[in-house]
Amino acid sequence: MTHVKIINYLWMLLLGLTFFSAYMAEQANPGLNSIVIMAAVLAIKGRIIVDHFMELKTSHKVLRTLMRVYFYVIPALILLVYLFPEQIAIWTSL
Amino acid sequence: MTAIAQQQLHFLPTTRKIPGSFAIWAVILAEMTEFALMFMVYFLAKVHNPELFYEGPTRLNTTAGTANTLIMLTSSFFVVRAVMAMRENQRQLCVRWLWAAVSCGVLYLVIKYFEYQWNTAQGLSTETNIFYGVYYYVTFNHFLHVGWGTTAIAWVIYRINTDIYTKDEHEGLINIALYWHMIDLAWITIFPLLYVIR
Repeated sequence: MTHVKIINYLWMLLLGLTFFSAYMAEQANPGLNSIVIMAAVLAIKGRIIVDHFMELKTSHKVLRTLMRVYFYVIPALILLVYLFPEQIAIWTSL
Repeated sequence: MTAIAQQQLHFLPTTRKIPGSFAIWAVILAEMTEFALMFMVYFLAKVHNPELFYEGPTRLNTTAGTANTLIMLTSSFFVVRAVMAMRENQRQLCVRWLWAAVSCGVLYLVIKYFEYQWNTAQGLSTETNIFYGVYYYVTFNHFLHVGWGTTAIAWVIYRINTDIYTKDEHEGLINIALYWHMIDLAWITIFPLLYVIR
């Protein structure tokens, strides 16, 4: 597959994931499953842009790691805030 | 390069090459940190005000948020194609892809402007509650980034048209492309946090 084709397919995948997110937003009562899916969608979209659009997949290791970690940490925080809101609120109260 | 300098560089990883310049990466990492701090504020405000953050997204214009996400992703795709065209010495094609990206940037700003107008008509403002305070702070900050990012792409088009950037020397184009992808990354994080997740 050519580089152009790969980029085209990844762009279509990103659009598809966005439509899926919009569909999830319209759901009446989001539960743990939908939060897990939303966090995963964010992680996948971030990884595609970092690896393929920014071309970090085959370049500087430190930059690649920093940028990839960003899209592990934010989705993880989404899950933690959903699962343990009271505990985090207690820890962060003055 | 002297033999000593070569020896000193020998320990560096083979993947040390970076896309663009060190300067743009310093800017990108600083901006990503700035957005990360805003996301921390969002998470903290959310755990302390769960009801407001549950109800908040339901009153926002999801269609506008979705449209802007599609536009940002598409503009990033256009920028990638512009860089690929430049590498193949197809400079006019590169310029066309960049104009397409500029159009996306302008369209994003127009949609965001009408979204803010729509919010005002619904009685939503920074004063409504903390969710909308965070929403306006984060999205207006991003709005400014899109504004100057779009201007920077237009500047790159001017540089290509005046033969400053060529197939062999176009680091400025790569730098702006990377910066634009960073703006895209910020938006794909903002969209689920503010419009989708409750």
